[in-house]
Amino acid sequence: MIQFFHVYKAYPGDPPVLSDINLSVEKGEFVFLTGPSGAGKTTLLKLIFCAEKATKGQILVGGRNIARIRESAVPYLRRNIGVVFQDFKLLPHRTVEDNVSFTLDVLGVPRAEARDKVHRMLKLVGLEHKADSFPLRLSGGEQQRVVIARALVNDPTILLADEPTGNLDPALTVEIMDLLTQVNVRGTTVMVATHDATLLSRYQKRTVRLERGQIVSDEDGVKAARRMVV
Amino acid sequence: MSAFAKTRYFWRSAAVGLKHSPFVHFIAVTTIAIALFAAGLARGGARLLDNLLASLGGEVEVTVYLAPELGQDEAHGVRARVEALSHGQVSLVPPEAALTRLRKELGDLGEALAELPENPLPATLELRVPPEDRTPEALQSLAKELRALPGVSGVDYGEAAVERLTAIARALRFGALVAFAVVLSATVVIVGATLQLAIYSRREEIEIQKLVGATDRFVKAPFLLEGLLQGLLGAGVALLGLWAFGRVMGPTLGSLFAFLLGPGVGAAWVEPRLALELVGAGCGLGLGGSFVAVGRFLRV
Repeated sequence: MIQFFHVYKAYPGDPPVLSDINLSVEKGEFVFLTGPSGAGKTTLLKLIFCAEKATKGQILVGGRNIARIRESAVPYLRRNIGVVFQDFKLLPHRTVEDNVSFTLDVLGVPRAEARDKVHRMLKLVGLEHKADSFPLRLSGGEQQRVVIARALVNDPTILLADEPTGNLDPALTVEIMDLLTQVNVRGTTVMVATHDATLLSRYQKRTVRLERGQIVSDEDGVKAARRMVV
Repeated sequence: MSAFAKTRYFWRSAAVGLKHSPFVHFIAVTTIAIALFAAGLARGGARLLDNLLASLGGEVEVTVYLAPELGQDEAHGVRARVEALSHGQVSLVPPEAALTRLRKELGDLGEALAELPENPLPATLELRVPPEDRTPEALQSLAKELRALPGVSGVDYGEAAVERLTAIARALRFGALVAFAVVLSATVVIVGATLQLAIYSRREEIEIQKLVGATDRFVKAPFLLEGLLQGLLGAGVALLGLWAFGRVMGPTLGSLFAFLLGPGVGAAWVEPRLALELVGAGCGLGLGGSFVAVGRFLRV
């Protein structure tokens, strides 16, 4: 589903952010991307949804080489990728329902169909009773669930989450991670960038560790969790 | 989404945008209105100038001097040829009539003309040229053709006055055009800058739209519509201002300059063609400004 071949990313005058990244994520897989701050986790995710361009190397997403993608084709690629941010990126003056249907407005889904989909998604994230609320009246966990609903409402094949629990307390963290696991069980490929070691040991999923822009380990869940305990 | 649903979505978004930053949009509409009002006034001024030229041009008659030896029949023959050549009104002034006219013009001194042994004035043809031929080039060419006619000894049409007047009009028109172009460019920049403020306050919305897969055209459309609405509003305000100006100042200008410019000076300042041009220019300014402004925020 996602493949990196000798990918580099550097900004002029700075040391490379990512160096010689080789990575393959299968369809329906759940992958943690971990490492200290500045290791390149966010940049790697940004390369997948074309918010950044690789300096060198090839990236295939759904069989398509996005290193050579035309600017005009980027929106169509993004329609297959849901993105969850640590800082939510919700529109404060729009209701929860409007925030979630925002994606469907962009895709041109008819209103009645969009309404249906939004309510189904809000039910999935447990927020159907908050449809008419505004984001700033919700807790951090609830806001993050709205973001997840927005990312999933058009049934993307890939869900990328950049530190989705970074602003949440432990209870809400579990709530969000359970939701992401549930999404993965439904068949969506999920990649979560986090530096929270407790998540890795609790959920025991494949873990790719980055340090100074390079992959230093790529282990299955059990092995990675065991290392965390040690 | 059907084209209709998409259009409805864009208009709704544009209306929300206008409501979102009313002050910024007010500034943009006012700027467009002032620029278009100035343009409308300039057009009105140009019309007055045209009237002035036409009225002064009407005074400049071409005088064709006939050879003294020409008989009356021959003079009428030349008159017919001049009429056919110029498509204007031609009247024959025999030497006696010319002398009588001169005597009248001289008043008391006119008595002195009785002392002359014979009438020194030749018969003349007075030609009133059609308005479309009152340019210096056309008059010059007509004079050349008239001079070549048999029985014509000379032609006079106040060449210097016509040329000077036309040169002044041309300079004024060119100056107005340059000033208009500068005002319009400045307006696009000001409207663009004010719209950037409005768009800046909605940059998060644009960012999210782009991240969930909106095309540039989809993101731009509501902002361009906002610009279009501003242009229409600005043009509406400018037309209203011109109409009010015409109502208030029209009669005053009419009474002040009617002797020079004729009854046309009091005519309406807002004509259908001018209204269409200002609405078109308003739409262009609004669209241009928003196009300049929105481009910066699409790089996500």
